[in-house]
Amino acid sequence: MTQQDKVKINKLPTGVPGLDEILGGGLPEFSFNIIAGSPGCGKTTMAHQFVFANATPERPALYFTVLGEPALKMLRYQQQYGFFDLSRLNTSVRFINLSQVLVDRGLEGILEEIAKEVEAVNPGIVVVDSFRTVMRKASGNEMEMQVFVQQLGLLLTSWEATTFLIGEYAGSEQPDNPVFTVADGLFWLYQVVEHNSVVRKLHIMKLRGQASVSGMHTFRITDAGMQAFSRTLGLAPRDRKIPAQKRLSIGIPELDEMLGGGIPEGDSLLIAGSSGTGKSLLATQFIAAGLRQGEPGIVAVFEERPEEYEARAGSFGLDLSTPMKQGSLKVIYIRPLDLSVDEAMQEILDAIKETGATRLVIDSLAGFEMALSPGFRSDFRESLYRMIFALTGIGITILSTLEMEESFTELLFSKFSISFLTDDIIRLRYVEIEGQLRKVMMVLKMRGGAHSKDIREYEIASKGVVIGERLTGYDHLITGIPTRVGQSEPKK
Amino acid sequence: MRSRTSASPEIREFAQRLVAYEAAGGSPAGADFPAGVRVAEKLRHPLSRLAGVNGFHMLLVRALTLAKAQVPGLSPVQVKADGSLEGFSDLGNRAEAAGAGVTLIAEMLGLLAAFVGEAFTRSLVLDVWPDFPAFDTEPWRKNES
Repeated sequence: MTQQDKVKINKLPTGVPGLDEILGGGLPEFSFNIIAGSPGCGKTTMAHQFVFANATPERPALYFTVLGEPALKMLRYQQQYGFFDLSRLNTSVRFINLSQVLVDRGLEGILEEIAKEVEAVNPGIVVVDSFRTVMRKASGNEMEMQVFVQQLGLLLTSWEATTFLIGEYAGSEQPDNPVFTVADGLFWLYQVVEHNSVVRKLHIMKLRGQASVSGMHTFRITDAGMQAFSRTLGLAPRDRKIPAQKRLSIGIPELDEMLGGGIPEGDSLLIAGSSGTGKSLLATQFIAAGLRQGEPGIVAVFEERPEEYEARAGSFGLDLSTPMKQGSLKVIYIRPLDLSVDEAMQEILDAIKETGATRLVIDSLAGFEMALSPGFRSDFRESLYRMIFALTGIGITILSTLEMEESFTELLFSKFSISFLTDDIIRLRYVEIEGQLRKVMMVLKMRGGAHSKDIREYEIASKGVVIGERLTGYDHLITGIPTRVGQSEPKK
Repeated sequence: MRSRTSASPEIREFAQRLVAYEAAGGSPAGADFPAGVRVAEKLRHPLSRLAGVNGFHMLLVRALTLAKAQVPGLSPVQVKADGSLEGFSDLGNRAEAAGAGVTLIAEMLGLLAAFVGEAFTRSLVLDVWPDFPAFDTEPWRKNES
């Protein structure tokens, strides 16, 4: 059978930002779906968003409520969301309560009423909320339950309706449930309290006819409704890029030289050092150098607000205000705490798309991790790896900073498994020399090729980082407490 | 926390106009009933469809309770299980029944507006009386603080 012979399954927009991408392009038309999860996890909101995204006067949505949440209260709360359009009620979106039908006439009555309404208005979308309360009527009679679900599925599919059944199910109810067997799509929503944060996650357990993104995806419910964040962030895995030919200036010629001619385009560079060593300044100089070359940039800051960042750059003569106004630079302040890693990364990705940025600064990784809800910190490294790998794969050059605790006996690295995250590493550190606390930098790693082996002293001056000569005449510089060898003075 | 004890003057005026509109266009079949009862009856079907028979019944019982506090003469009136009204024929005279009907409808619309908002309530009214100028009247919440 050729591709042309196969039936084309249209994909409907879900109305939930990020969810279409997780579903592989949208929800299959005429599919029979279940949204399951515990009370309060967002099932009804998700169904409403789908309804308002797709219902038309010609193919309206029929929203059947059955026992469960009283319809008036549901409408009271749902209309608070931005997607809820009052003007479309009773034309494109119709609510029908079947509680009494269920009480008086059971499953047969429900089926008859749904059939009657469906035949009368030819809906494009049908929602039954809560379906679980319907199934309780057949509790203990599995055959009755199976027949009912099958007939309902048959009816609604025959009438070319895309259907959502909403139910409060616990995760332990998944196996062998006849309802789940009949469904084309099974969406499971979770709401878990971790430490003091609530973490919401979505799992597409089943989706017939098309490939969806596997795994657990974070979602958030705001005034605008539900927003989902694909765990792949919409970034397709790519093969490792071909080594770049172009080298990007970091804005300091001596450091470019140490890096073997600059940062290879599309690399991920880490600048690690303790507090006050000038990591953020180097990152700002990197962004400013790009802007001077006409390369838009993004700076994601976690430990200070954009205006503070902008002012601090200005104090070193680096004008970020003009490119910010012109739209070639965006400084994103990721609000602290209670954030999922995918949300934060989505914000960065949106900014990259908006500005066409080719340079990205993450200042700092520790701040990024701290901004996350505690429940997401365990996923941090994996998610960060995915984002860095995908972004560098499309040629974006990333500079991340990392604050390190200083040891005066050894050269420490972080808990972030640096080699996975970075192509190149610059280490900044303090050394004690002749009663002074001085600063040195070294390039520890350049995946793209040769780099300087020098340990060079540097200073933070009014125009930024100024790099001096190689420190000679000392051993054990990397421990922070060097010992003098020979008589030569360190050159400045 | 504020307790809503009676419909605002704006809702009452709206209800008065709605009841008068129904009275003016009343069908011969319903001519024996006060227009307020006919309005409640006409709202019964769409509201039962939306909120369930029981939901509508509860809403009307609450509205009637609030109305009785203002019009003690409504005491013989009851809401049947299916959401229809009985006992209006026991009210003293037509004028009293008409006034009581307006009060009841005002309370019902006020309750609905409190739950689902004014815009939705007005649109529900328009579904039943498509030519009634529901949106020409003053906003109901203008006097609310």
